[in-house]
Amino acid sequence: MTQAPLVSFEGVAKRFGSYIAVQKMDLKIWQGEFLAIMGSSGCGKTTTLRMLAGLEAPSEGVIRLAGKPINDLPSWARDTPMVWQSLALFPFLSVIENVEFALKMRGVGRAERRRRAEQWLDRMQIGEFADRDISQLSGGQRQRVALARSLVVEPQILLLDEPLSALDAALKVRMQSVLKTLQRETGITFVYVTHSQSEAFSMADRVVIMSRGKIEQIGTPQDIYRAPRTRFVADFLGASNIFSGKVARDPQGRTVIATDSGQFALPGNVGVSGQPASLTVLDTRMQIHDQPPGGARNSVAARMVGEEFVGATATIYFETEAGQELRVQKSHEDLAGLPLSIGQPFHLSWAMEDGHLVQE
Amino acid sequence: MRRRISAYGLTFSLPLLIWQLLFFVFPLVFLIALSFWTVRNFRMQPDFDTVNWTTMYGRAIFWQAYGTTLALATAAAALTSVLAFPCAYAIAFKLPNGARRWAIMLMVIPFFTSYLVRIYSWQVFLSDAGIINVMLGWIGLGPYGLLNTMGATLLGYVTLALPLVVLLQLFSLIFLDRTLIEAAHNMRCGRLRTVFAVVIPSARVGLVIAALFAFILSFGDFVSPIYLGGGDPTTLSILITDTTKSGQQWPRAAVIALTMIVTLMVVAFLSVRFAYRGRK
Repeated sequence: MTQAPLVSFEGVAKRFGSYIAVQKMDLKIWQGEFLAIMGSSGCGKTTTLRMLAGLEAPSEGVIRLAGKPINDLPSWARDTPMVWQSLALFPFLSVIENVEFALKMRGVGRAERRRRAEQWLDRMQIGEFADRDISQLSGGQRQRVALARSLVVEPQILLLDEPLSALDAALKVRMQSVLKTLQRETGITFVYVTHSQSEAFSMADRVVIMSRGKIEQIGTPQDIYRAPRTRFVADFLGASNIFSGKVARDPQGRTVIATDSGQFALPGNVGVSGQPASLTVLDTRMQIHDQPPGGARNSVAARMVGEEFVGATATIYFETEAGQELRVQKSHEDLAGLPLSIGQPFHLSWAMEDGHLVQE
Repeated sequence: MRRRISAYGLTFSLPLLIWQLLFFVFPLVFLIALSFWTVRNFRMQPDFDTVNWTTMYGRAIFWQAYGTTLALATAAAALTSVLAFPCAYAIAFKLPNGARRWAIMLMVIPFFTSYLVRIYSWQVFLSDAGIINVMLGWIGLGPYGLLNTMGATLLGYVTLALPLVVLLQLFSLIFLDRTLIEAAHNMRCGRLRTVFAVVIPSARVGLVIAALFAFILSFGDFVSPIYLGGGDPTTLSILITDTTKSGQQWPRAAVIALTMIVTLMVVAFLSVRFAYRGRK
């Protein structure tokens, strides 16, 4: 990715009165990528998207689209089609008239816009509903109309604001693959706002995690999942065990983190001694032993407090002497042979490289 | 879908039902009967004679009055709607919430004063020695004959219907889904174009109903055509009073009234059908 970014936010902030919706933000979006912006409600993800679409004006900073500043461009002079959570289909127009709308506004002739609209309806597999009213369609069909309506102008970028949140679980999964395929085939940049981790992580090339108007972390789903950069991200993803403590040096001069449950070694020379920090370890990377493990692995003694079975895997819950809760996810084969019962003492271990230091 | 009428629902709608029967259905039936009565020596007598219908429908003045009334009411509905829309639009979309409440309050104030009083005050403005002509005189213009014109009648109709039409339009615009407007902007539809391409079609039901109310109020109004229009040209409402005054012809007045009722019903039916066209 050496070319210029398609979109860049440069020091962009948004305030509503005294409320800060988005704090000074820098973000680059590349041509052809599927970017998900994720966070809980009120984190500023939708405001960010709306600023890009021209529906909110930034209080500070510059937004560039294809290199040009677009701050002063009204929303109707931008080519940033958006799919709304409510879909915002026009109920007084038929399906095909909805899809033709954007072309009509661009002055495309009647025959040409009908042809292009039909093409997109067919591509979205709803060609047979062209002349129906919006009210006669199911949720999934409406979703497809909304996508066709935005994509018919063949834009460089498509903005999506929680478009799947109204669908039931099965349909959601199906639409996710429709979206992903569509993005890959067209090469259009998708910017997808969602509060759902599964949506963001299953579709996006890169994920932006926001909290209270600030970007917490940007990265590929794998990177973020494996190595959350902040305590917030680790908590938000909920996949890691988190130890809170202070950075320290052990007698051998290695960097460790001192926690209530013990001292654990960290990979490399990270953090400043004495600084508060947290250590995260993915619940799938921990091993369970009934004897203290030897070697270089970090380990902690803990008592089993519960178990939960979900399909092929089980999650076992533990508590250390110091009251720290820990969780380990394993397949049933891995667990065979362990004397699992509530109250039983065990040792949990992980390789040094599986621990990640995060900022408090 | 068939629904059974519950005793509970009936209890609450009963007073209204009785009211409608007493003051609408019975008088209407009586009016129909009355239109077939005859008048001998200035006295009405029950009868079954179609003479009132043939006489009224055979008169040129009746059809002239009918045409005038229909045209004036249509013009009033159109004019009022066009005048009201920018106002309702501005209140709905441009005012902050607090100011919007005050604006709605201001729209209700005209109803505090009797319509008749408001029409009389227009006379003060419009007469030959009235406020407008005096002020025009200061700059060497006029006097113009403003009173006793069709324009003055229309002005009266607008006075009657405007506050109600603004309120009705306002309520249909306030509840409009604003993301539809954003979506239109998002698809390169400019501000003014969005009003015609999205706002008006979305609010169509409310806008048509508002215009219908303006039509109904103007169609049956007696005050404006007589006090501002000077009774010329004759409207159906004026024709009714004239008919009752000349020789106790209540049965012929009933013919006019029934014709008006049927006309209003047809107009109302067509308007509602137009408003809901294409909606399921």
